[in-house]
Amino acid sequence: MMESEENAAKNAHSSEGSDRKPICVIVLGMAGSGKTSLVQRVTNHLYAEKCNPYVINLDPACIEVPYPANIDIRDTVKYKEVMKQFGLGPNGGIITSLNLFATRFDQIMKLIDKRKAEHKYVVFDTPGQIEVFTWSASGQIVTETLASEYPTVIVYVMDIVRNLNPITFMSNMLYACSILYKTKLPFLVVMNKVDIVEHKFALEWMKDFDAFQAALESDPSYSSNLARSMSLVLDNFYKNLNVVGFSAVNGDGVNEFFDAIEKCANEYEKDYRPEYLRIKKEAEEAKKVERKRELSSSTSRDELITFGEPETSYDIEDEYEEMYEEEKREYEEFRRQFNLDKKPSVNK
Amino acid sequence: MRYAHLVLGPAGSGKSSYCSALAKHCEATRRKLDVVNLDPAAETFDYEPVVDIRDLISLSDVMEDEELRFGPNGGLMFCMQYLSNNLEWLSEQLGEVDEDYVLFDFPGQIEIYTDSNFVSKFINHLQTLNFRVCGVFLIDSQFITDVAKFISGVFVALSTMIHFEIPFINILSKTDLLNPIDRRKIGKFLEPMADILEEDSLLNTKWGEKYKKLTKTIASLVEEYSLVKFTALNILNENSLNDVLLLVDSAIQYGEESEVRTVDDFNQERNGVCE
Repeated sequence: MMESEENAAKNAHSSEGSDRKPICVIVLGMAGSGKTSLVQRVTNHLYAEKCNPYVINLDPACIEVPYPANIDIRDTVKYKEVMKQFGLGPNGGIITSLNLFATRFDQIMKLIDKRKAEHKYVVFDTPGQIEVFTWSASGQIVTETLASEYPTVIVYVMDIVRNLNPITFMSNMLYACSILYKTKLPFLVVMNKVDIVEHKFALEWMKDFDAFQAALESDPSYSSNLARSMSLVLDNFYKNLNVVGFSAVNGDGVNEFFDAIEKCANEYEKDYRPEYLRIKKEAEEAKKVERKRELSSSTSRDELITFGEPETSYDIEDEYEEMYEEEKREYEEFRRQFNLDKKPSVNK
Repeated sequence: MRYAHLVLGPAGSGKSSYCSALAKHCEATRRKLDVVNLDPAAETFDYEPVVDIRDLISLSDVMEDEELRFGPNGGLMFCMQYLSNNLEWLSEQLGEVDEDYVLFDFPGQIEIYTDSNFVSKFINHLQTLNFRVCGVFLIDSQFITDVAKFISGVFVALSTMIHFEIPFINILSKTDLLNPIDRRKIGKFLEPMADILEEDSLLNTKWGEKYKKLTKTIASLVEEYSLVKFTALNILNENSLNDVLLLVDSAIQYGEESEVRTVDDFNQERNGVCE
C-alpha cells in the first residue's frame, strides 16, 4: 500500500513537473460527523508517508486543533472577541469571524501559492455547523477562490452510526446533493466511524433501490410518496458518486480515501477546470461593471458582509433616492408579472 | 383547533426578521398572532415573544457551565434535548387558549433536525395540544444566483422537510435586499422547472452533462409535488407578506372551521338585505 502511494506521488511529479498544483481538500460535514478527527488521521498518514500536507483550520470556535495547522483562523480572528465587540451570540460570532477571515482570503491564496511546490495536499477543516460554510457568503468565497486556482475536492463526511435510520440517511444524502449543486466540484462522500458500524448496509442501500425501499417501509413512522420519489432522485445521485468508508480512529480506509481524492482531482482537471476558467473570466468582467456602478452611485454597499440587522433607514442622497425609486417601480412590475403568471386566466 | 407555524431555515436566512415582520403585519391587520422563540442562542430580535426558550435554558448558561463544558454546537444540542425533555413547560407557557395562532422561531442549525428524534417528539406534542402544524422553510435569496444554486436550495429544503411530516411552504427570503436584475432572476426560478432548464445553459456545461439525469429527476419532483415549490418574500412589502400568510393559512386550513357559511346563510343574508 505504501508503494502505490509513492508511485502516485512520483507520477504526479514526473508528469507535471514544477507546474504541479496542490490538491485542495475541503472537509465538510455536520457537527459531530468527525471532520476534525478525519483531518487529524489524514494528516498523520501524510506525515508518515513523508508527504507533508498544508493544513488550514477554518473553525474559529474549536477549543483545540489536534493536528499541526499551518494556518489557524483562531490566530487571525478571536471568536470570543468578535462576539463581544459586535454584541453577537455564538452563532453570529462564528459567521462573522469567518466573514472577516474571508475578506483576507487573498492573503491565504498567496501563502498557498508560495508553498505550492512543497505540498501535494492542502487540507481545509471547516466549522462544526455545516450551514456556516455552505450557506454563507464566506464559504462561497473560499470555495470559489480555491477552485478557480487549484484542483479542489469537496469531502462530505457523514457519521455512519447516526445514519442507520433510512430517513436520516436520506436527509444526509439530500444535503450532500445540495452541496454538490452549490459548489459544482468533484465530490467525495466519506462514511466515517466504520470501526463502530460497517458501512456495508449503506452501500447496499445505494446500490439496490428495492433494499432501500424495504428499509424505508420498515420504519413505522414514515410512509410517504414523497420519500419514494426522493429516493428515486437520489438513485441518480449515487450513480456518479465516489464513496469511501473511513475510520478516523484506526485509520481504516485511508488508502482508499487518497485513491478517491486522486480520482476526484483528475475529474477536476478534465471536467471542471475549463468551466472554472470561464467563470473566472466572467467574474472579472462582472467585477468591473460592479465597480463602475459603485463609483457612479457613490454609496458603497457591504452586502456581502452584514453585521446583524440590515439597516432600513439610510441617510439617502438624492441620487440614491432616485435609484431606489426606480428599483421599487421595477420590483412592483416584477411582482405584477409574477402574479399574472400564477393566474393566467384572470382577465380584467 | 390551534395553529402552529414553524419557522425553519439556515442561520442568517431571516427567520427572526420574518417572525417580527409577520407579528407587525398581524398587529396592523388586527389579527391574533403570537411568536415563540425556540433559539436558545438568539441574540436580538424585535418581536415580543410570548414564550422564550431562554427562560428555560439559554446557550450561554450551558456554555459557561464548568461541568458541561460544551462548545456552541454541543451546547445547542443539549438545549434542544433539554427542551424535548421538558415539553410540559412549553404547554404550560402556551396555556390553553383556543383558536390561537403561534409562530415558532427555530434555531438555524440543521443538526438539530437530522439528529435525535427531537422533531417528531416536538410535533407530536404540539398535535396532542390540538395544534395544526405547518412548516415554513426560508432560504436567503441572495445566495440563489443561478439554477444550480436554486436546485441546491431545493435539496436543502427537502433534507429538512423529510424529518417533518407536515405541510411545508418554502420561501426565498430577503428579496428586498436584491437589486432589480437579481430580483427578476429570482422571479424566473419560480417558473416551472422544465422551462428554466431549457433556457439555462446548466445542462450544456460539462458538469451539467454529468449530472443531467439527477437534475432532470429533481426538476420533475419539484413539478409533481407542490410541497417543494418556492415563493419569493419581501418583508418590507405588505402584499408579499400577505401572500405568504395566505399560503400558510390554506396549508393549515386556518379559519376554515370558524367561518363555515352555507348557501342558506348567504340566502338569509341576502334576503335580509333585500328586505
